[in-house]
Amino acid sequence: MISFRRRGKEQVPAPAVAAARAPYQAPATGFLDPKILSRIGDLELIARVVVEGFINGLHRSPHLGLSMDFAEHRAYMPGDDIRRIDWKVYARTDRYYMKEFEADTNTNVLFLLDISKSMSFASNGLTKLDYGRYLAASLAYFSHKQRDRIGAVTFDSEIVDFVPASAKHLHATLHAIERASATRAGALTEPLHRLTEHVRRRSVLVLISDLYDEPERVATAIDVLRGRGNELIVFHILDPAEREFPFDEAANFEDLESGERIPVIPEYLRDQYRTVVAEHIAALTTVFGQRGIDYQMFDTSRPLDYALFDYLANRQRLSRVR
Amino acid sequence: MNFLTPLFFAGLAAVAVPILVHLIHRERKDVIEFPSLMFLRKIPYRTVRRQKIRHWLLLALRCAALALIVMAFARPFLGRDIAGTTVTGSRELVILLDRSYSMGYGDRWTRAVASARRTIDAMAPGDRATLVPFADGPQAATTATQDRAALVAALAPVKLSSGGTHYAPALKLAQKTLEASKLPRREVVLITDFQKVAWDGHADVRLPPGTVLTRVDLSDKTTSNVSVTSVELRREYEQGREKVGATARLTNKGAKPVDKLAVSLDLGGRTVETKSVTLAPNSAATVIFNAFPLPDGFTRGSVRAAPDALPQDNTFFFALSRGQAISVLVLESAAGARGPYLSRALGIGGRPPFRVMTKPISKLAADDLTGRSLVVLDDAGFPQGDAGRRLAQWVREGGGLLVILGDRASPASWSGAVAEHLLPGAVGAPVDLGAPRGGTLGYLDRSHPVFELFSAPRSGDFSAARVLRYRKIEMPSDTGIVARYDDGAPALIDRRVGDGKVVIFTSTLDTYWNDLAVQPVFLPFVHSLAKYSARYAEDQPWYTVGKVLDVRGLFGRDEPEVVVTSPSGAKSRMEGGKSVAGGRAVELSEQGFYELRTANETADEAHLVAVNLDPAESDLSAVDPEEMAAAITAPPGAVATAGTGAPLTIEDRERNQRIWWYLLIGAFALLAAETVLSNRLSRRTAASTR
Repeated sequence: MISFRRRGKEQVPAPAVAAARAPYQAPATGFLDPKILSRIGDLELIARVVVEGFINGLHRSPHLGLSMDFAEHRAYMPGDDIRRIDWKVYARTDRYYMKEFEADTNTNVLFLLDISKSMSFASNGLTKLDYGRYLAASLAYFSHKQRDRIGAVTFDSEIVDFVPASAKHLHATLHAIERASATRAGALTEPLHRLTEHVRRRSVLVLISDLYDEPERVATAIDVLRGRGNELIVFHILDPAEREFPFDEAANFEDLESGERIPVIPEYLRDQYRTVVAEHIAALTTVFGQRGIDYQMFDTSRPLDYALFDYLANRQRLSRVR
Repeated sequence: MNFLTPLFFAGLAAVAVPILVHLIHRERKDVIEFPSLMFLRKIPYRTVRRQKIRHWLLLALRCAALALIVMAFARPFLGRDIAGTTVTGSRELVILLDRSYSMGYGDRWTRAVASARRTIDAMAPGDRATLVPFADGPQAATTATQDRAALVAALAPVKLSSGGTHYAPALKLAQKTLEASKLPRREVVLITDFQKVAWDGHADVRLPPGTVLTRVDLSDKTTSNVSVTSVELRREYEQGREKVGATARLTNKGAKPVDKLAVSLDLGGRTVETKSVTLAPNSAATVIFNAFPLPDGFTRGSVRAAPDALPQDNTFFFALSRGQAISVLVLESAAGARGPYLSRALGIGGRPPFRVMTKPISKLAADDLTGRSLVVLDDAGFPQGDAGRRLAQWVREGGGLLVILGDRASPASWSGAVAEHLLPGAVGAPVDLGAPRGGTLGYLDRSHPVFELFSAPRSGDFSAARVLRYRKIEMPSDTGIVARYDDGAPALIDRRVGDGKVVIFTSTLDTYWNDLAVQPVFLPFVHSLAKYSARYAEDQPWYTVGKVLDVRGLFGRDEPEVVVTSPSGAKSRMEGGKSVAGGRAVELSEQGFYELRTANETADEAHLVAVNLDPAESDLSAVDPEEMAAAITAPPGAVATAGTGAPLTIEDRERNQRIWWYLLIGAFALLAAETVLSNRLSRRTAASTR
């Protein structure tokens, strides 16, 4: 049960209550509208609302068994840690077998949040940055509950803020995510390259960005991160207007980052635009798929817990981290 | 329908503004911030569809409103309204036919005559016309007449002249003719090549209101013309023989170069030298011919360039005769010669040469003055008795006398009525200017012909000469004083006596009273003094068409009869008389050689005068006929007041131009409709955007 929490003189309703009043209705699923979440000022509270609601909805979710669950045996290879040899099997078979689990527990989870100016775009009141912020906070809270060490990196064309991964850094991480603001033009390659100097331990890197770059350049940027055995998860955040291009009146379109203007009559190029965007997403999917990277495209109009559920379901189905 | 201010139609260009607004401006209405233009840049959307006009009705309203406003400012009126009634009836026609020599370019003259003929043939019964051929000045070939046959007959003998083009006198004549006319319609037909050099844009001519100016433009878009604009002649003396070198200047007024143009020098009708020259477009060049000796008498010379489309200006004429030596008689005192300075200085002279004869004054005979140009009394006093009277008479009849007053020219030697009549005042005693520095020539009238040679800076320093003594002359007035000493006393006096000339120098021309004779200025000063005193003038080798030649300068005022033969062969006789208006002047109106002789002279002894075309007329560039028409016709809206058309009141005129009101009202109505429509479209667009 989530009660009201005072924030100044404004009383913010609990999301479950607010959801009933919100324009966006999803009664079939009971998912949380991101706009409602945006009215909650506290990022930790948002994360807790999302994650705990999510957990309550799942009850004993099979997706949570990621810690010490046994997976399989495999033959011993020279160089393997002898502490993981299953001596009982050795006693029975006189052969060395290594005991493997579903996943390592207590791993480093580092959230890479893109705060370039393009992330400040919003067509429905919620910016991509806010959405990414909620997503990062929710996942951070989620990971913290799993006893993972969490940290955060905010970047635009360079690294703006860096919180190293630690089991005690939940608040620092949430604070770094909360204070991020989109003010400058962004880039992927340079800050991600610089990040490899800070990430010394094998980690799970969660990249949250709108990925406004050519797929080949995106691939170049992430290849550096994967080089050290890091696991990479990519959340591609897009505004509905960026996908649908719903504009009617001819206007000058101004690039949020470069300030460049192009006169555009949307009705004449809407279809072409949608095609180009779809091709871009398809190209990114191919790039990430070829590298075995989890890639998920999130629309800021989609409920956050729904998006999380969708993602984790896919991950459960496809991903086997050894 | 006509327009008072048609220039406002340039404002129709403003119609492009709403079209551009429809094509371009609507795209600038809003700025939408978008995360990235990465995808938009990939779309080749800049096609013609982008410039598609969507609101045709709005565009049409805006363009129509602008067009109506422009038309309103152009002040339309109906032609029949402006004059109150349609002007009908007979015409008073003035045909101005340009016959300047530039009309000889190509077939211009043929076309001009044909055009004049067509104008005469097109005359309606009752029309009256005056044919006015013009060049430097107009000359009405007929009075105003309705007789077309008389006009055609008057046109037939009109030929090209050698004159240049002057529009103003011809237009003035047309103006007067039209103003005097009672016919209702007036028209000037101007048949010309509209030369730019003939029009300065400010002719003080305004044709009467209602006059129609019909322009027959015979100019060519591109012209090519080479002309010989001048010939410079220089006399040289080699071993006593006189030679003349000629340098011709040619110009190419065309836009194309002229290669290897043959230019020849003709003397006495025979080509003596031919050279070739290359002329760049719109440039000039000179051709230098070798010096040639001069025979006796006058020589006809000309420089000819190969003919082109305007051959008249390709020939330049000049007339030469041998330079005449100045015959000088130097009379010295009976006490002996003063020194060699004066006679030596005159002996050196070559341009012209001086033939010097020296005699003691006591031996002056009657024959000594015959054929003399100058007598110099070199500190010798004045001859006494008959010799003195003969000398004074000779001076009064046109002789030149140079008087040098030294210590021997005492007052006693210049006593007597005859002698005193020649001088401006009584000769006084010598005046010392003080040793050792002495005085100088403190004032020189450098505009006087004697000192004109020294008028340029650093062209002669007279202040270096020291004057120790001079002889005083008591003059009642300062008239004729050309030079003074630094104490103010006259040094050089110029006096006219009868038809002759007396010049008095009040010091010596040797080293006795001054050291002028050893100064660098002495030689040119003595030559200049002698030439002026002898009234020497070189014959002018050529004149320009339109000049007036005073025959008295050639033959003297008392020559009873002079026969003039023009280049075309026309002969005329001029009776004696003193007045130019009385027939002693020749107007040089033809190109070529004029022959002038007295009744006693043969044709071979005739005096030759070469006459050339005005080189300015060779520039064939044309002025815009509209510009000229605007300057000489009455301003738009002026109303004819002569003839049968009654003058309109101001109210009538305003009423007849009222169309602009309706146009403006229509424009405002369209603009109001445009406002309503655009607001409606804007609201619809805003609603669709939301």
